[in-house]
Amino acid sequence: MSNDGNNGNSKGPILSIRNIKKTYNQGKIPVHALDDVSFDVKKGEFISIVGPSGSGKSTLLSIIGLLDRPTEGSVFIDSMEITKAKESEAPRIRREKIGFVFQHFNLLPALTAMENVDIAMRFSGIPGGKRKERAFQLLTQIGLGDRVKHRPSEMSGGQQQRVAIARAIANNPSIILADEPTGAVDTKTREVIVELLKELSKGGQTIIVVTHDMDVARQTDRIITMRDGRIASDTGSEMK
Amino acid sequence: MFDLILRSLAQRKMRTGLTIFGIALGIFAVIVMGGMSEHMTLIVDKSLDLMADSIQVQPDGTMGGIGTINDSKVRQVKRVPGVRDASGILIAALDPEGGGGGFGGGDMVFGVLPEKQMKDAKLTAGRYLMPGDGYKAVIGSSIARKFNLKVGDELELKSKRLQRTSSITHTRNITVVGITEYTGSIFDSAVQMPLDKAQKFYGMENTVSFIYADPAPGTDPEDLAKRIELSVDNVKSESPEQLRKRFKEQLVVFSLITISAAVLAAIIGGLSVMNTMLMSVSERTKEFGLMKALGAERKNILFMTMGEAGLMGIIGGISGIAAGGILTYYLNGVFESQGSALFSVTPRLAVIALLFAITLGIVCGTYPAYRATKMSPMEALRYE
Repeated sequence: MSNDGNNGNSKGPILSIRNIKKTYNQGKIPVHALDDVSFDVKKGEFISIVGPSGSGKSTLLSIIGLLDRPTEGSVFIDSMEITKAKESEAPRIRREKIGFVFQHFNLLPALTAMENVDIAMRFSGIPGGKRKERAFQLLTQIGLGDRVKHRPSEMSGGQQQRVAIARAIANNPSIILADEPTGAVDTKTREVIVELLKELSKGGQTIIVVTHDMDVARQTDRIITMRDGRIASDTGSEMK
Repeated sequence: MFDLILRSLAQRKMRTGLTIFGIALGIFAVIVMGGMSEHMTLIVDKSLDLMADSIQVQPDGTMGGIGTINDSKVRQVKRVPGVRDASGILIAALDPEGGGGGFGGGDMVFGVLPEKQMKDAKLTAGRYLMPGDGYKAVIGSSIARKFNLKVGDELELKSKRLQRTSSITHTRNITVVGITEYTGSIFDSAVQMPLDKAQKFYGMENTVSFIYADPAPGTDPEDLAKRIELSVDNVKSESPEQLRKRFKEQLVVFSLITISAAVLAAIIGGLSVMNTMLMSVSERTKEFGLMKALGAERKNILFMTMGEAGLMGIIGGISGIAAGGILTYYLNGVFESQGSALFSVTPRLAVIALLFAITLGIVCGTYPAYRATKMSPMEALRYE
């Protein structure tokens, strides 16, 4: 796989999370979704974040993806503090630094596989010809070269998720954030998706997967276990 | 981005079609009502042009309507310094049962002095009235078409007179001696006949409806109009400028009534755009959230949603203008065969209607678009 994730500084961490806290108010009762979470991610790492429901793993992913803001703490991607970015800068950062993969694929139903990959590049202002070329190349790489003109309704769950992965890597982001990417597919398809992510990681792409599925987590380089908004264990820190 | 807008509209064909239909209906109303108002404006403009620069004198207290003045006042007006000449004119409805009289209000009979008749409209057949003519008439082009008259044909005049509690209708034939060309003014629907015969037929001897006074060269019409009012008792006089102003004011009222009804229809069409767009935005919560997660900026989402609304406005507007244009063209054909046209769909009206449709689409798309841009990507993506 030729994708190598751009902007990476091979020496420092590609992602640094520093003392992240996130508090929601449920009525008058404050709920600590994240409580002092810190860790670093190196370029090309394939990480899984696991933990029971409500442990804060999805909140953490949303904060890294700039979909949500922390109450306290900082997130650095490529040494840039994204938590300090203005609201108006968020779209550009998302385009350049982050690729999302969702549990329910979230492809646009009216568009073909090709157009679904293409749309991510539109917002970056890439000219139409180049977008088409890259979309076709990516779909061919993930083995869907013969499905470019198919709409999501004409594809299996696994195929849809592969299109979503192609869309996530289309802009060469620094990090791919995948929220339960195998949550809506069968066991066989799950293996195909995990293999694809592993392959991307081998090519230098940094990937963070949030999952319930320990079979998926075990295939990643590092497992961060969350409990009650805190990191309960991190195989990466054990390795250190 | 434009392809995405088209794709999104095409995906919801029924809804898009109904919304466009709503706008088209509103704009159709704007074209039909506006066309009527434009036609009136044109008639008034041309009529006033043909009346040239005479000062109109009428009995005090009948501003806007048709009253009666004694013939003797003509002589009084003539004596006012600065008046070159003055003559009376008697106005009556050609068909008293059909109502009418005044601007745009049906066919009229003008009793005029033959030497003072309106000669700015050229003749297409026959001759003008001459002194000594009896029951002879010069008729406008619409009258000729409506009653299918040629020079030498007879036209029936009717007058209604009240006698005690009942009214008696008198009729009399009058011979057509001339037909004037189409002017686009009230004179197209007018029958001009000698004043004395008109007074006799209508039983209004020594009476006229208006007196027209021509200013002497070098006299300011405004001053002269005031002077006439001061010199002659119980009359009101209006200079050409005042007359123009008064008619314009009346036209504004007429236009306001007709156009506001149409605008109301168009606004309802606009609300249907708003409703459709709001529905479309809330249905696509996830889609907009996803686009934001993919790095779409507010302007991208604004462009898409407002583009959809604006495009529906354009298509609806063009369809409405086309439908209105076709209907008024057809109706004008029907009305012309019975007299005169009723609508003028001018380029100005078409452009205003189209701009109105687009503005309506965009304005009504603004709030839904704003809602779309406010969508939090995280909330949107959890929306299952």
